[in-house]
Amino acid sequence: MAYGTVNADVIGTSVAGSNLGAGDASLMKNRIINGAMQISQRNGTSTVTPALYDYTIDRWQTQVTQSGKYTLAQSTSAPAGFPNSMLITSTSAYSITTTDCFDEKQYIEGFNCYDLAWGTANAKTVTLSFWVQSSLTGTFGGAIQNASGNRSYPFSYTISSANTWTQASVTISGDTTGTWMSSNNSVGMAVLFGLGVGSTLSNTAGAWAAGDYRSSTGATSVVGTNGATFYITGVQLEVGSSATGFEYRQYGQELALCQRYFQQFGGTATYEYIGDCICASSTSAYAGISLVTTMRAAPSFSYTGVASDFTTDAGNTNTQCTALALNEAAVNKVRLTLTTSGLTTSSYRTFLTYSGQTSKVQFSAEL
Amino acid sequence: MYKLINDPITGKLACIQKLSNNVFIPINENNTDYQAYLKWVAEGNQPEPAQ
Repeated sequence: MAYGTVNADVIGTSVAGSNLGAGDASLMKNRIINGAMQISQRNGTSTVTPALYDYTIDRWQTQVTQSGKYTLAQSTSAPAGFPNSMLITSTSAYSITTTDCFDEKQYIEGFNCYDLAWGTANAKTVTLSFWVQSSLTGTFGGAIQNASGNRSYPFSYTISSANTWTQASVTISGDTTGTWMSSNNSVGMAVLFGLGVGSTLSNTAGAWAAGDYRSSTGATSVVGTNGATFYITGVQLEVGSSATGFEYRQYGQELALCQRYFQQFGGTATYEYIGDCICASSTSAYAGISLVTTMRAAPSFSYTGVASDFTTDAGNTNTQCTALALNEAAVNKVRLTLTTSGLTTSSYRTFLTYSGQTSKVQFSAEL
Repeated sequence: MYKLINDPITGKLACIQKLSNNVFIPINENNTDYQAYLKWVAEGNQPEPAQ
């Protein structure tokens, strides 16, 4: 019986006409996480106006030099076979300056791309593919960059028909120079999609350049047209010289991949259990929280709403918090300091959301 | 602007609070928020002291 054979881009099997790479089996070939825009822990389907460095749909970060020029939402408009897309809607007709930059990008962790061997003579060729739709037509742009932003590969793609899903694909010969990824938990590379990038930050498409270039010269500015829409989904970055079928991962698998960088508790019910706490004084308690998956690094802590949206509960009595803070963080667990009142030192309580509140505690270890 | 946050019991530094967005940052060099804080300090800035 013949077993699988490895070709350049696909894995052939003994079953006639069956190729794992050309099919949609999960081989972890896609270096992009949440390329199908399915996971949106922070905002769900709500429309937001992202500020500089905000994370919106999981793993996707906003880079804007001017705030309030577009809104962003997880959309259910998507090409066949995809559940969601990222929807950008321009909120004005903004004329970008030479140094302006509006883009959505994803940092890829070094652990997840070091095998590309970029920055060496053995640099591998990759293909970036994605589905896009826009109310605008023309040439659009984006870029791949190293962590320092001093090696850039601007790319371009064309949307010929307005409001029609189009698949684009860009094949990129790996960079043999520059400083690139290491096998660690730092930034390995970045993939950017331009929504309006000034000439200073743009360069010729299809070639590596030393410098910070985030899109291709002359690319369409989405933020330049009031009400313009831009959808993107099915983003895949894979080794090889041609695009293969989008890698479908199970939902729980994709969510866990996202939770390495961001996870949250609460938000779905009142008096929702978050963790246990030990009272250290009459006004302070330490709450321990086990993270649902090991995070990339010890996470930062934040919470939605206000401190009084959370409470410590002793079974038949609870006292709302007046302050929350991070006390200690590791990659798989955290301890918070809860400030409240009426506690009995050395007694145990539970840490809950308060009555009528659906606020969340959030942990971020984004790149 | 940042503020130092001490453990209320031990009095030792527990985390750094970024005041603009109310994010509490661990003392951990792999954390990108902490990296940004260190860069901010290296530029000559000083956090608010713990209370």
